[in-house]
Amino acid sequence: MVVLNFTLTPEAAAKVHDILICLAKFSDTVAIEARRERFTFTALNSSKSAYAALTLDGNQFFASYEFLSSHGGSDGRFTCSMYAKALLSVFKARLNDPLRRDGAIDRCEVSIQDRPDATQCRFIVKMVCDQGVIKTYKLTYEAVDVMHALFDRNAAKNRWSMHSSAMKEYIEYFGPRNELLDIVAGQDGRAIFKTYTDKLQSGKDILKHSLSTAVAVNTGDFEEFKVDSGLHIVISAKDFKAIVAHAVTLKTNLKAYYSQPTRPLQFSYGSDGVLCEFTLMTSGDYDASANATPAPQQIPSRTASQAQSAATERIEDRSIRSEMPPPVEPASRAEPRRRIPGSRKETTPKPPQPGSQGLFVSQDDEDARWEPVDYNNEEETLGWDASAEHDAALFPTFRDNASLSRTETAESNDAVAPTQRVSQIKGLW
Amino acid sequence: MRFKASIQNTNTFTKLTASFNSLGPLAWVKLDAEHVHFTVIPEQGTQVWAVVSIDSIFDTYTVQSAANNVINLEVPLVLLNRALKTAWNASSAQIRLTKKDNVPLLALTIVTTSSSSHAGFPTAPTNNDDGFDAPFEQQLGGNSRETIITQEVPVRVLAPDVVAGLHEPQCREPDVHILLPPLLQLKSISDRFTKLSLIGKSGNGSAAPRTRLELSANMHGCLKLSIKTDAMSISSLWTDLSNPELDPSQITMDIADHPSTKMKQLGSADGRSEEGWATVRIDARDWGKVMSVGRLGGRVVACFCHEFALILYVYLPTDNGEQESVLTYYLKTTGHGTPLSS
Repeated sequence: MVVLNFTLTPEAAAKVHDILICLAKFSDTVAIEARRERFTFTALNSSKSAYAALTLDGNQFFASYEFLSSHGGSDGRFTCSMYAKALLSVFKARLNDPLRRDGAIDRCEVSIQDRPDATQCRFIVKMVCDQGVIKTYKLTYEAVDVMHALFDRNAAKNRWSMHSSAMKEYIEYFGPRNELLDIVAGQDGRAIFKTYTDKLQSGKDILKHSLSTAVAVNTGDFEEFKVDSGLHIVISAKDFKAIVAHAVTLKTNLKAYYSQPTRPLQFSYGSDGVLCEFTLMTSGDYDASANATPAPQQIPSRTASQAQSAATERIEDRSIRSEMPPPVEPASRAEPRRRIPGSRKETTPKPPQPGSQGLFVSQDDEDARWEPVDYNNEEETLGWDASAEHDAALFPTFRDNASLSRTETAESNDAVAPTQRVSQIKGLW
Repeated sequence: MRFKASIQNTNTFTKLTASFNSLGPLAWVKLDAEHVHFTVIPEQGTQVWAVVSIDSIFDTYTVQSAANNVINLEVPLVLLNRALKTAWNASSAQIRLTKKDNVPLLALTIVTTSSSSHAGFPTAPTNNDDGFDAPFEQQLGGNSRETIITQEVPVRVLAPDVVAGLHEPQCREPDVHILLPPLLQLKSISDRFTKLSLIGKSGNGSAAPRTRLELSANMHGCLKLSIKTDAMSISSLWTDLSNPELDPSQITMDIADHPSTKMKQLGSADGRSEEGWATVRIDARDWGKVMSVGRLGGRVVACFCHEFALILYVYLPTDNGEQESVLTYYLKTTGHGTPLSS
């Protein structure tokens, strides 16, 4: 038996929308982990190369937050997974509209109906709107065990930090559809972000390659830049864009932590009770000279590429939880719940348009009207439309579908028992 | 083989590539000492042969090759256009031909400087409460930052004998030549007409019916755009357009014998006469692609060869003293009879 009740302000509900937009870019399903003092959304992509954990602080983020679990005592948790799209149609855009237009809410109340004796287990969202209108959504969920990716920030000697809006400016130069992003620490005081799809090969299809874009940024434009000179690290460009797009909604600094290619990289940012951590698989650059990659430092016996394996708890988190016997905390370890000074809660900006290809700047309408008209795709038609389909989007319905596909996260794969001390498991990596 | 130039006018270059790209995906770009030639020859539809003066796009310009200092390239227009678009606020932009892993590339190097107006950049010394080990001491010079963006467009170098077989279409002397009204107006009307003609034909999928526009002009400043289907017939008439004087040095025959001189004897300036019209029928989609050139804002002279072809000469706007750049579009008429339906 689990009791989970929380209330969100319109502001916070809009942030949940932003979070879900971001997570939906990684996976179709979003996992939820509720604990006594925090609530976490996680997503693992299908190739298991990217893991996202976005944690909401129980006191800071929510207007009210209550979690009780009949089993497990203080360490009890409730985990489940849901379709990202289903959640997104509840946490729609424009929940927080200062002008109180269509879709704006007064507050949002969420509870869990999870009893062994109940016939229905549901995730219930009540959107309380103006004039006493209450929209109640009951979502089905699948009970799963949530895994967390391991990331050891102590081993991540390379780190940089930059304001997300600056980073957004840079990724706007990127050509669309590029798969990979190479982050290079140049020797000349510049960091280079280079996107490309694959190695160029001369041949017939040479003209079908995508545009390869390199953006060279003065390391002085970073808040912090401490990366081994000449180091290349390659991640997925799409993931990076998704992360930056979300970090921009929080108007905060984006921090990267990594050691070397083939070892995981972590992006971290957060403000006002939201902490976002993305752990990504990396590889080396194809044209990086061998000596540019520094020698591996004490690589563990585990195969490197599988290193971001699962554990029930992140090690950093464990060390700062009050309920855990605190191990010796390394000096470099950051307190993740720190308030960013000066960052104020403001009305959240418009979320990025999903599926928008218009990453480029100066997409002016002026230019668009010169494009040849595609009559096949024309929305403007003269005639009658007797179908009632337009209204479908206004009233989302959920079918009671018990046969939800099991996700990867469903496997219980506890690598570390939840009561183990950090000092005891030090030897694992 | 060397090609290097700094782009003086990224806006024009971007619009040029966008206009060409609406006709076809690839352009043959010929670089020589005086001009840049862009040629797009799609599998079907309109061809464009453009001669652009160097100073209308480039500033400094070097081209060297073993073949008389001429370089022929095949360039994917989408990528070039996309790359150029990112240079919209550049403080400088440079393009050069280079090679990487044996693949020829057009590398566009864009330098942007922006004084950091938004809060995204560190302006004051960073306070060290962000959990990192070391304070970050580096200060910004002058609060402005410079970013270098490199866009690499893969290209193919064409050998001289490959391009030797490509010839610009030849056409007889036109019956009517006329300065077109503003293209935005012309495009909106023709788009509207096309849309109307497609109503009820449910143009879903690729098998949308082909629609043909009929364009006619006379030597008395009239242009007529019309569309006919089983259900309707619409037309739009422009009057008081100008028929430019012929330059005797440009034509081989005596002006008195020129077809347009004979057409002048026929028709009237109010466009009501049935006589004196030179007419071509053009695929509506193709016409829409051609109209894309309007974004460059040039003067357009249309030359009508009755029932044969329409040739558009687009003269790019120039500042004083610049050599003129001309884009020549060759449109073929699509024959008589009822519209083809598929």
